[in-house]
Amino acid sequence: MSLVSDLYERLRALFFRAREDREMHEELQFHVDMETERNRRSGMNTGEARRQGHLALGGVDQISEEVRDARGTRLLEDMKADVAYTARTLIRSPGFAIVAILTLAIGIGGSTAVYSAVDAVLIQPLPYQDPGQLVRLYMAYDYHNSDYHAWVTPVHFLDYRSRMSSFESTAALLTYSETGADIGRGDAGRRIRLLPVSADYFTVLRVPPALGRPFDRAAEDGPGAVADIGIGARSVVLSQSLWRQEFNGDPGAIGRTLVMNGEPFVVAGVMPAGFVDPIAGTIDAWIPMDLRAGKDVSNANNHYLTVIARLRPGLPIERAEAELDLLGTELAKQYPNAANSRARLYPLKEDVVGTSSRVLELMLGAVALVLILVCVNVANLLLVRASERTQEFALRSALGAERARLIRQLLIESLTLAIAGGAAGLVVARLGMSAIIVLGGGSIPRLSALHLEPRLLVFSFALSTLCAVGFGLAPALRAAQTEPGESLREQSRSATGGGARMRTREWLVAAQVALAFVLLVGTGLLVASIQRLRQVDLGFEPAAALAFELHLPDARYDSTARARFYDAFADQAGTLRGVTAVGGISKLPATGPYHQWGTQALTGPYANDERKGNVAAEQRIVSGRYFQAVNIPLLDGRLFDATDDARAPDRALVSKSLAEALFPGVRAVGQRLNTGGRVSEIIGVVGDVAVNAEGDPDQYVYHWHAQWAGDRNWALVQILRTSGSLDAAQADARALLTSMDPQLVMWKPMPLSDAVGQGEAQRTFTLRVLGCFAIVALALSALGLFGVLSYGVRLRTREFGIRMALGAQPGAIRRMVMRQGLTMTAIGTVAGLLGAVALSRIMVALVFKVSTFDPRVLGGAMLFMGCVAAIAAYLPARRATRVDPRTALQ
Amino acid sequence: MADHRTDLLQGTLEMLTLKTLALEPMHGWGIAQRIQQMSQDVFLVTQGSLYPALVRMRRRGWVTTSWKITENNRRARYYELTAAGRRQLTVERATWARASTAINWILDSQYGLAGGTA
Repeated sequence: MSLVSDLYERLRALFFRAREDREMHEELQFHVDMETERNRRSGMNTGEARRQGHLALGGVDQISEEVRDARGTRLLEDMKADVAYTARTLIRSPGFAIVAILTLAIGIGGSTAVYSAVDAVLIQPLPYQDPGQLVRLYMAYDYHNSDYHAWVTPVHFLDYRSRMSSFESTAALLTYSETGADIGRGDAGRRIRLLPVSADYFTVLRVPPALGRPFDRAAEDGPGAVADIGIGARSVVLSQSLWRQEFNGDPGAIGRTLVMNGEPFVVAGVMPAGFVDPIAGTIDAWIPMDLRAGKDVSNANNHYLTVIARLRPGLPIERAEAELDLLGTELAKQYPNAANSRARLYPLKEDVVGTSSRVLELMLGAVALVLILVCVNVANLLLVRASERTQEFALRSALGAERARLIRQLLIESLTLAIAGGAAGLVVARLGMSAIIVLGGGSIPRLSALHLEPRLLVFSFALSTLCAVGFGLAPALRAAQTEPGESLREQSRSATGGGARMRTREWLVAAQVALAFVLLVGTGLLVASIQRLRQVDLGFEPAAALAFELHLPDARYDSTARARFYDAFADQAGTLRGVTAVGGISKLPATGPYHQWGTQALTGPYANDERKGNVAAEQRIVSGRYFQAVNIPLLDGRLFDATDDARAPDRALVSKSLAEALFPGVRAVGQRLNTGGRVSEIIGVVGDVAVNAEGDPDQYVYHWHAQWAGDRNWALVQILRTSGSLDAAQADARALLTSMDPQLVMWKPMPLSDAVGQGEAQRTFTLRVLGCFAIVALALSALGLFGVLSYGVRLRTREFGIRMALGAQPGAIRRMVMRQGLTMTAIGTVAGLLGAVALSRIMVALVFKVSTFDPRVLGGAMLFMGCVAAIAAYLPARRATRVDPRTALQ
Repeated sequence: MADHRTDLLQGTLEMLTLKTLALEPMHGWGIAQRIQQMSQDVFLVTQGSLYPALVRMRRRGWVTTSWKITENNRRARYYELTAAGRRQLTVERATWARASTAINWILDSQYGLAGGTA
């Protein structure tokens, strides 16, 4: 009962506050009147009686306050007043509010964006059941450094699949990018991404089709299978989106046919929505791979399969590797002409995420640093503000405001800032995430799936609240500790500035400098790495050339037509204005390994040496004037020409390093080698090119497209070298293409330098992000330095006035302030150097030919930091010299 | 005149108010006057504590309020004891009786005057 009446009264008091107050006033007025009346009757005059009446009551306002307290709505009413007061004070000093909110927005928004990227890529990278059991298998090359990963030969794969007891299931994928298929006809024709897989693929990933059935082993050599080129039964599993596009999402699609590359495939199943391949990403359709003995399949030196496996539950990866080592020894005996039999396992997650995990760790670290910086900066801002308002608070507490109320006021102020900052941070997070997708989409896997999640929203607000409590409490407590009298007296005493209070802020600034310095070093290392990368000699000239893919649909182009078309395009495009050479290649150099085929010397000193005469070399199919188009020098012999047609014996060009490896001491031209199941005669030797953007050279064999068109649809990348602008060349080439076949698409046109620069894309991306953070950090620490020094100068205005009145030179005053600022910077920089040591552990994986303690980078960062600090310190120092002794001492 | 007045003992204001209101409904000034009279001008009711106490008592459901016209033809807020208020008065009286007896025992005791220890 009393509880009900209590609640009722409180609510009534809250909602009918105006009426309550009015009634209370009336009641108190009545009291005063009665008291006055009584006094008057006892003989006082009216004025005195009224005065006594008021006196007895003890101040209407104070009683009103106490009555309000008793009503139990005091807290809420005060909060309302505090919030309103906060809003007023913040609006009155918009500079402070804007800086604080922006600082918070950058910190909170940046960390949310990066956290969501890390979450998408690192924390949940494999959307499959028990992803911890999934591994990727690589074969290891004997002659390469230990880090080199080779794909797997079908010969070895079949043994791994049947003999490895550590594997619950094993699957092979053909992830080559030319494995597309043309569907539809005429104008509706388009190219889809096709992934040939071995039967157990869906079992390994534990994702069965949502409709229909997965492939079984029988599908590998079922009806229509062509062992020679590794294509299994004419059966297909569709992705959810292809099923919707081609069959309108009809469940009856199972058992019907889809025509791909002009051939009918029976639809076996439809994958669930959202299913992506862990390695190849978004795929439109899966077809079975034929692994029976055949031309490609029987070659124990033909490394072209991507192999993934699922370990038996609970089996450590080391045990599986031990079994793999034992098997490797047996396989080496079983296939004596295979160059490699060793293999290693990597957790699939690590393989997919790769070095991008380092990138994201670095970004996460950077964002943590920036977040700390942000908190320190806002804390500093609030500290300065709190001490500026010491007078105000002293006055208020002298006038009777409670300490708790003052603390609450400050807390509400920082909470308001944090919430506003958090809201602005959400906007920054959205922008930041779009930026991350744009900047990193190409170099970081699965980043395109990034989106703002509700969890992250909570994360962001939790962060902002944490910040508020963190940096709001310290100044609040400090302000509350101030004795009103002391503080009011201090106004006149503060000539030399409160020593202890300055100290805290100085340490905070030194910490900011240290954090900013660490980020500067990280940025500097990446800049240096990218500079080195750009200086790497790739063996060809990426500048002034255009590259694009050109797919010729099987349905309209048979092998002869493809050969003729590529030749015709190269010839005609070569006559375009400004274009100096046009050619095609199956895979651009410096963009990673591709077709690694066993290559055996049939003549020369190693002709009968099974081991030395056998290497796994990069195979490339070229057309047109490829070597002139990318500027690879011819060192010996001749290049391909029109005489090397399909009727002529197979001919090949080799790179210098391959010539030296297989034919040491003799002229390579005229020698013969066996690769891809065919015997070719070497007609020339060309310069070495890098296999990746880091410039690692590899051994290459080049084949002529006219002779190999029948092997498969090579989907050659076309390269146009031009003396004019790339845009003009692209427009001209597109027009030419349309005139030759209006249905063809110029796929992904871009400058050759961009196409081969994708190896450095990850570094560039990291650099940009880290660079942004470093700039923000630098700006924040400069701001912090500036703020603290300015405040110090303001506090010491009287001291400076006295000094100058006593004859101190402006230069001496300036030096004093500058010295104070630069001392903080120096302390921070030394601490930052220690931080850079910690940073180097992460950076090692990202730098390229740069020591993580590169003196140029460290020196540069110090110089840069010093300059910024000097500017930040100079402005307050200059102001200190402008102090007019007369005004300062008044 | 004011020199012999004393502030109310801590915590007794509510009990005295309840007692005053047990006789008849009354306005705030009346309550203060009545307590002063009944204590023969010994107790001074600080008005600053009376009104907050009245609000608290209303919140606890011991009194209800209504606006009425006084004998002098003025509008005033009258306080009236509820059943819960009457029960509370009984409780407080009992507590007070126990406490004052105990205090008297202590004050009348000779034990403390014996002074030093053995």
